[in-house]
Amino acid sequence: MRRNQALMVAGAIGSVVLLVIVLITMDMPPWTRVVTGLQRSFPPLWRGFSRPDWELFPLAFNAMTETFFMAILGTILGGVLAFSLAFLASGNLLGGTRWALPGKAILVAIHTFPEILLAIIFVAAAGPGPTAGIMAMGIHSIGFLGKIFSDVIEGIDQGPMEAIRASGGNQLHVFIHSVVPQVLPEFMSNLLYRFEINLRSAAVLGLVGAGGIGGPLIQRLQFRRWDEISMLLLVIIAFVVVVDAISSRLRRNLV
Amino acid sequence: MAADAGPVPGTLPRPPLAGRLRSLLTFAIAAAIVVIAYRQTNFNIASLFEGTSDFFKFLGRLAPDWSYLPSVWKPLIETLQIAYVGTFFGTLIAMPLIFLSSRNTANDPISMWIARTLLTVLRSIPDLLWAALLVPILVVGPLPGAVALTMFTIGVLAKLGSETVEAIDPGPLEALRASGAGKVATIVFAVVPQVAATMISYILYSFEINVRASVIIGLVGAGGIGFLLQVRLNFFDYTAVGLIIVVIFAVVLVIDGISVWARSKLI
Repeated sequence: MRRNQALMVAGAIGSVVLLVIVLITMDMPPWTRVVTGLQRSFPPLWRGFSRPDWELFPLAFNAMTETFFMAILGTILGGVLAFSLAFLASGNLLGGTRWALPGKAILVAIHTFPEILLAIIFVAAAGPGPTAGIMAMGIHSIGFLGKIFSDVIEGIDQGPMEAIRASGGNQLHVFIHSVVPQVLPEFMSNLLYRFEINLRSAAVLGLVGAGGIGGPLIQRLQFRRWDEISMLLLVIIAFVVVVDAISSRLRRNLV
Repeated sequence: MAADAGPVPGTLPRPPLAGRLRSLLTFAIAAAIVVIAYRQTNFNIASLFEGTSDFFKFLGRLAPDWSYLPSVWKPLIETLQIAYVGTFFGTLIAMPLIFLSSRNTANDPISMWIARTLLTVLRSIPDLLWAALLVPILVVGPLPGAVALTMFTIGVLAKLGSETVEAIDPGPLEALRASGAGKVATIVFAVVPQVAATMISYILYSFEINVRASVIIGLVGAGGIGFLLQVRLNFFDYTAVGLIIVVIFAVVLVIDGISVWARSKLI
């Protein structure tokens, strides 16, 4: 206990010292410039955020609906791809942990690759639009979903598998009647969770031209139309909060 | 799941037919939503391979130009600085909010509700969007990036933290309250020792997320290596873009590895 406390105090002091070093070496703008900038931008900011432009509501709502649909397709695409990859990363199905290592490494690599970079690549290759965003989300989601799917598969009960094998079932029977029923609720629950994450990222993918509400948002940010920006933000926040609430309810019923 | 279908059995176990109907209906609803989504977004996977250039030919143009490497170091360090500053101040601000928003340590229901609503709003705005919003307000550069990550960290960390605090053993809490300890003393001596290890692990996790975020927020002008990426993209300098992507990938991989290792030591 005493040792832990000493470690924590040392850690706290160390992190403050590091902060001071970082702040000194960082390329910060002079404070006077920041303050005058804030003074200049605050009145229009306040005006815009206190009076969101409701005329923009239909556009914002439609753009957010597109974002919502993008997130659905991206999640499904990721789920389907992850479902097949997860079995190649599950030690208990491949007959040993080491056979699952290449699969696991691929999943980590995919997860590490930033989604927005995928979006940039897909926009450059396929042109701007929701397809690029859906592809980026789909590919990126494989990393997270595949990892969790394979964890779930590795944690399944061997009993039903052996029972089916003992009564003469082949590998396919084992898969359909023992593996799938055991993993399906967990898969669905994590798919929903990923959907919540993807809805948030779908809202920003438009910043690089990959469809959804990010596109109209970045245009207005360039012109600092704060009354329209606040409307778009309201719609994003409302959508995310409502979808989160519904999705977490569904997840609670699943597991 | 989504909706109940068929008769609800009384005390008898559910007949298989109702269960089957139910899952069939759920599946039908899910399929309908996917079809609508497919139509509404005009999803067209083929467009990746036709269009202006072949997809793989394009990927080939991203072959990294290693001679560009020296100009990457400075923005890369700036990226890590942004992530660190964001994590530090985010943690600092999140701490009081954790205790205000946890059911068992909250001061009163009103401040708890305000804290929770604030956190929900903070969390519903993604990090890149925070950066995009803050760049026009604060000067272009690392400052809006650090503030954006601070905002995002507050939301994530306070949520994880308050879940941990709400799950603690209530014994010490009640003992201290019964002996007349003040609010702050109760939190320091009853709550903090129980959650410290988990919280440090969460702070490391936030730093990990912030490194991921800080490499890309530059795309909207918030400093770091993402800003360099944006500039090179605008010049269609694809070999430099390829190199920057490789460097970002490597950095995130290394930081992730260190963070996962450190967290495994903690708990």
